[in-house]
Amino acid sequence: MSIRRSLIAFVLMVLSLAMVVPFFLMLSMALKTPHEIDTSSPWSLPAHPTLENFRAVLTNPNVSFPLFFKNSLMVALFSTLGVLLSASMAAFAFARLQFPGRERWFMILLSTMMLPGIVTMIPAFVLFKYLHWVDTFLPLTVPAFLGGGAFNIFLLRQFFMGIPREIDEAACLDGASNSTVFWRLIMPNSGAALATVGVFTFIASWRDFLGPLIYLNDPDKQTLEVGLQTYRTLTNEQWHLLMAGSVLVMIPLIVIFFVGQRYFIKGLVMTGGK
Amino acid sequence: MVRIKILLAFLLTALGWANCLAITLRFTCHEGDDALKILKNLAKEYEASHAGITIKIENYADYGAYSQKLLLEYAANDAPDVAALGPEDFVKFARRGALVPLDALISSTPGFDLAAYYPQIVRACRYRGSLYVLPRDIAPKGILYYNKRLFDEAKIPYPDGKWTWDFHVRPELREHDFLWVLQQLTKFGRDGKPIQFGLVPGWPELLPETFAVSTGARYVDDYEDPTKILFDQPDMVRSFEFAAELENKRHWIPNKAVLTSVLQTDSQALFVNQKAALFMSGIWEVPGLRSKLMPGKEGYFDWDITSFPAYAGGKLVLTSGGSGYSILSSSPHRKEAWELLQYFAGAPGMVALARSGLAQPAIRAIARSDAWIPGPNTSVEMRYPANRLVTDQMVDAVEFEPTSDLWTTVHDLLAAKMDDIWMGNAEAGPALRQGTATAQDRLNALRRDEGLPEFNWLYGVGAGLLIVLALVGFVYLPERGRRSSARQKQESKSALKFLAPWLIGLGVFTLGPMILSFLMSFADWDIITPAKWRGSGNYIEAFTADPRFFVSLKVTLIYTVVAVPVGLLGSLVLALLLNQKVRGMPIYRTLFYIPSLASLVAAALIWRKIFQPEGGLLNSILYYPGGHGNFLGIPNWLSNFGKPGEPINWIGNEHTALPALILMSLWGIGAGMVIILAGLQNVPEFYLEASSLDGANAWQRFRAVTWPLITPAIFFTLVTGLIGSLQVFTQAFVMTGGGPGDSTRFYMLHLYNQAFQSLRMGYASALAWVLFVIILGLTLLQFRASRWVYYEADTK
Repeated sequence: MSIRRSLIAFVLMVLSLAMVVPFFLMLSMALKTPHEIDTSSPWSLPAHPTLENFRAVLTNPNVSFPLFFKNSLMVALFSTLGVLLSASMAAFAFARLQFPGRERWFMILLSTMMLPGIVTMIPAFVLFKYLHWVDTFLPLTVPAFLGGGAFNIFLLRQFFMGIPREIDEAACLDGASNSTVFWRLIMPNSGAALATVGVFTFIASWRDFLGPLIYLNDPDKQTLEVGLQTYRTLTNEQWHLLMAGSVLVMIPLIVIFFVGQRYFIKGLVMTGGK
Repeated sequence: MVRIKILLAFLLTALGWANCLAITLRFTCHEGDDALKILKNLAKEYEASHAGITIKIENYADYGAYSQKLLLEYAANDAPDVAALGPEDFVKFARRGALVPLDALISSTPGFDLAAYYPQIVRACRYRGSLYVLPRDIAPKGILYYNKRLFDEAKIPYPDGKWTWDFHVRPELREHDFLWVLQQLTKFGRDGKPIQFGLVPGWPELLPETFAVSTGARYVDDYEDPTKILFDQPDMVRSFEFAAELENKRHWIPNKAVLTSVLQTDSQALFVNQKAALFMSGIWEVPGLRSKLMPGKEGYFDWDITSFPAYAGGKLVLTSGGSGYSILSSSPHRKEAWELLQYFAGAPGMVALARSGLAQPAIRAIARSDAWIPGPNTSVEMRYPANRLVTDQMVDAVEFEPTSDLWTTVHDLLAAKMDDIWMGNAEAGPALRQGTATAQDRLNALRRDEGLPEFNWLYGVGAGLLIVLALVGFVYLPERGRRSSARQKQESKSALKFLAPWLIGLGVFTLGPMILSFLMSFADWDIITPAKWRGSGNYIEAFTADPRFFVSLKVTLIYTVVAVPVGLLGSLVLALLLNQKVRGMPIYRTLFYIPSLASLVAAALIWRKIFQPEGGLLNSILYYPGGHGNFLGIPNWLSNFGKPGEPINWIGNEHTALPALILMSLWGIGAGMVIILAGLQNVPEFYLEASSLDGANAWQRFRAVTWPLITPAIFFTLVTGLIGSLQVFTQAFVMTGGGPGDSTRFYMLHLYNQAFQSLRMGYASALAWVLFVIILGLTLLQFRASRWVYYEADTK
């Protein structure tokens, strides 16, 4: 028995190390000098680790990584806020309220869950062009406030339906309106679900590439993803700088993951088990 | 009271006045670092002398994509005020009304003398009579840089400008025959291969095209509005045949194949390394040459410039480049922009650039002054090239190439065929005829598109309304006749309030766009000029006239068919392993999951490095040790696809690029793993214990108990994986750009290029709908065939 177990443990160790090798490479190249990258093996540790590359990336006159970070943060925060608000509102209606056509509206909701973004991408661009919203953050944040994603609505609905109705009914007997029930009862009790949706939305917004690519032209407004690509076209393929930039982009993602780890796993569990 | 009113009035006017004056002018350009520094200094000087004006310079490093990006910005209502444009790219803006005609501004500016500018470039900046670009510099493409030392070695006097060329060598003229000079300056090694070339052109077409225009050949019938391409005419063919003979048979000139494959260098480097005595290009090579050929430093030789020779049977004709600045018609600050134009494309800008040797001024007087021509006060470095006066003389010979943007589009098709000539794969005549035929077809198609009827949006709005009505009917028809109490009505109203954001979003960002993109798929629209009705033309073009359509479908499908099942299998295996109650499971789970969180751009960059042929991680394992190893026999098998004896270039080889991307996709199997693992952990212990008590072994337990209970998780991963794979974009965009060839041209990438680079929004919408139908079909198919998925009774 234990031989089998140690064999499995060994295989897992090897595989998991293989999985993170690219990160190791990224970090080690970010700490090496360009000369060392050209001459030494990619497996070697930096002989004299240097933070010079990071300094060069952060002080580049044409692109500002701190600005990229700020932009990504703002867009992600607003998107998350918008999603949490509008998705939970819609989920509440589907979970708790009776209204004509509820089943059919829900079917429509489900069918939009699998809608690939490409059919709406171009007309959305046209719409934003006429609104003069191109090269602003609005196209990336406003849609979050208007529905917040069918998937999130579905998830929250399932969760809300798991909250016992007795709580609602007790409050209603005391004369509470739907609004009060929503804000004072349902939402506070949904911390876990909201945190999960929030974490996923935040990460999705942080990693979004196509959206900022189409809508953000000004380098001062770009987010980290697009900014890294812009930086790359400016510096050609200077690996030491590119890797330093990549590390900078990855750090927030890893931090967010470790902070919200529970919710990641929980969220993936909830989605897969449906 | 009165005092307060006066104060208020004063404050308001001051505010308004200050507001009016605080103007920011957006200024786009595509310059190298040296020119950019000069522009930034000019901007500072301008800001200092013009209160209230701030200039925001936006520089695009990518020269090739600049004008398309600018057009896209104009289409998105996000255009700058002033943009750097030139004869070769301004027409596509002018045709769409995106530029302000400058003639009216010129006549209303006293003292502005357009005649001071070289008339050739002013003419080239006109479209249908109106001037759209104020020229800043002109760059005749016939400058011959020559290596004095090699001339001395061959005992040939330096070119004095009196030489000519003809279609055969005339040795009796000696140094006054261009071909004789080339022949003398070409040296061959013992193996018969050339070790020194007479002349290297900056790019392959430059030489034959210069020959052709010198003999009076024309590219197209009308240079502003071409309808007929003339590249198959005898005079053009003769020049190309002549150039091919000089390159492929006599070897006095290296051709593109020799430069890229054999010598693996570029034309300027060949001249700098003294392997070519003459270098034909434009004045823009000067900064590079100055920095590489410094007096006193290693590798230095004395050099100068002269003009390309005249045709013996006629005169000297040269093509030319040039650039200037335009005002975008969307700018709210036309007057201020015009002031700026006069500064940057007038004396101050020209003098600053001329002094640095970067650009020949477009005003004749300045080009003849000592700002451009080296004089006694010029530093040693700036003295090169000494014979600068010849650049002024050359302008008289300049005839600009066609400026029409239609020409630029079809020229690419011709260039592809021309490559065959330089590669030695085809004779000039047949290649040019084929190229012309293809290009002419394209030109005819483009002109036909211009004559299409306008798109009637009313029909679209009508169709949209019908669809919305149908939807509403779908939802509410079953509900009619149902009576509801007052309380129910009140609950419905409340529900509506909660649903309002979603409903608005549904209409504005889902349903509306879907209808619009459906309509657009029947139109030809660049979202600047009015849309044109094309009927099913877009769909027909996709299926019959767009080779990249099927290629991109194939690439995407291959990727999906391989990556999704393999990834799913990997996720399953990992999940099973992790479920074996090993110590530290959460750590392993984290390590496996994190890569799927990684920023796609950062991932693409790091994997590019991993796939690098020399110094890349993957090849260091496969070819261990020392780059010549043979790990598991894989390298030997791989050499079938690449150059034998060399480590395989994963991304650069069209056979291995897609497999490389598939391999990279396996890095993200952690996400699926977590989902399946959760499903595994939900399998009640009870069932497994019961079945083992009944004598089932591990495999039977898995098949009968575990597998059915995890099928929902597997199905979910499969469906989402499929939908995701069919829409892969970022990796292809960042890592390969679709290449090499079209081997990684994913469907989304093709769509993106059509929409945002070619501005063919209608066609791109049609492409989007085709993919949508495919995704929908595949998803429905999976659901239909999902009887293998076992659902426990849903508990609500």
